[in-house]
Amino acid sequence: MSAGWGIFPIFAVVAAAMGLASFVAALCTRKSLAQWMIRGAVAVMLLFILQLWIVLDRPPMRTMGETRLWYSLFLFICGAFAYRRWGYGWLLGFATTMATVFMVINCFKPEIHDQSLMPALQSVWFIPHVSIYIFSYALLGCATLMSLYSLWGRRDVDDALQSLTWGGVAFFTIGMLTGALWAKEAWGEYWSWDAKESWAAATWLLYLLAMHLPRLGYSDRRVRAVVMVVAFLSLQMCWYGVNYLPAAMDSVHIYNR
Amino acid sequence: MKVSVSRYTLTSGLLIVAMAVLSWLLWAVVPFSVEFFAFPLNLILFLLWGWGVFELHRASGRSVIARYLLSRQATITSLVLLAAGCIVMGLQRKPATDSYPFLLLNLFVITQLAMVTLRGWRDCSGIRWVFICCHLGLLLALIAGFWGAPDTRIMRAEITAEPTKSALCQNGEVMQLGYELSLADFRVEYYDNGTPSAYEADVEIDGSRVELRVNHPHKVGLGEHIYLTSFEQRGSDTCCIVQIVRQPWRAVMFLGIALMLAGAILIFIRGPKR
Repeated sequence: MSAGWGIFPIFAVVAAAMGLASFVAALCTRKSLAQWMIRGAVAVMLLFILQLWIVLDRPPMRTMGETRLWYSLFLFICGAFAYRRWGYGWLLGFATTMATVFMVINCFKPEIHDQSLMPALQSVWFIPHVSIYIFSYALLGCATLMSLYSLWGRRDVDDALQSLTWGGVAFFTIGMLTGALWAKEAWGEYWSWDAKESWAAATWLLYLLAMHLPRLGYSDRRVRAVVMVVAFLSLQMCWYGVNYLPAAMDSVHIYNR
Repeated sequence: MKVSVSRYTLTSGLLIVAMAVLSWLLWAVVPFSVEFFAFPLNLILFLLWGWGVFELHRASGRSVIARYLLSRQATITSLVLLAAGCIVMGLQRKPATDSYPFLLLNLFVITQLAMVTLRGWRDCSGIRWVFICCHLGLLLALIAGFWGAPDTRIMRAEITAEPTKSALCQNGEVMQLGYELSLADFRVEYYDNGTPSAYEADVEIDGSRVELRVNHPHKVGLGEHIYLTSFEQRGSDTCCIVQIVRQPWRAVMFLGIALMLAGAILIFIRGPKR
């Protein structure tokens, strides 16, 4: 086995195993072990990226395969931070699953390592922008499910629901703003009403509405659940719905062509 | 209490109808033109608006308008209207950002947000930093986007070895740049499948040489940048397509984004605490 991509399967297996171990540890309420395991997974990914960087003699951010490495890294990092912040074990399970999917693609589809990445995507903003968004989608999706769950008189989920919604909105905001800063650097406009941007803004505002409702004194769970479901539908449009939207044919965010 | 709640809800309803009627009337009288509001009119209107908001906030004990703008119904209306506006934009191939309904909607949203931001500046525990970061950040970004829109110019120019002094606006108008652009050198690298992996252009601006790359613009003046967007090979000659963006309100937008980023990070750290 040679350095570079050749040794990737070893790193992938170790990182995935550490992610899984952190998830299991979290389920067994071994908090500190879970935190060390997920940090270990981050370290393993980081080591691989560093050695690839040295072997290639350039930052590994040019091909689709290389960006998938960064996805995996950032998903582990997001999982570590989010677990530390909220202490929900499923966050680690989710982060590990998503990161593993990207690593498995890299292991079994090596021919797409070389798929070209257009120059506009070769930016330091690319990976944080996309990984933070992916993570916020997960948090907001879970918050939506929880808001439906709260309709069956489960009062004990209210605090968790608020935490998840606020956390999801925080991640979503960062995703959106890193996108705006990148857009300014790439073609000069922070915001250009691209279809995906419009749907992201609508989603953001609807979740902001759900976030503001209890603060403004509207405590009806049904109203909140309706807003959360509408926001979630808008999120689906933003995530992949725009790919099928005739209005989005000129969008710079469509990847399935 | 019950009565005042329904009164504010009714106000929201009437306001939406009024905005719809007003935009239809305006549209019937004179077609919308964003250029009409160009500097200095936008700056004058912005200062008048800002002064009005301050006065309105000071009078919030007496003024019915101020009380409505600070009501929870106004916040809900603001968020729902803006979300609805975004969904309409998301369904249009050419979003109707330059239109009366969108102008009135945004005017309402930024006025309401400005009132809420002024009120929320501090409470008995002092300045509320998270609140300020989020709300003031969004307010500044919207102010720069809204009041700065008439001054924003996005131009395209094709640069060859032959010097050029003008560029084409989005509306087809030719603008004089005030400086001269010419292509001195161009380098491109390809992937094995033939698509370009990286390219850079050496451009001379009034005789001084600068390097342009995708994602690496060059600043030519206050709020004005040149972006390399693509290139064409014409026989043995290369033609670079650059985008020139004039955005005098850029700094305000950047400050707004920076504040919102700080707010989002603080929200993540602190969670939904009062």
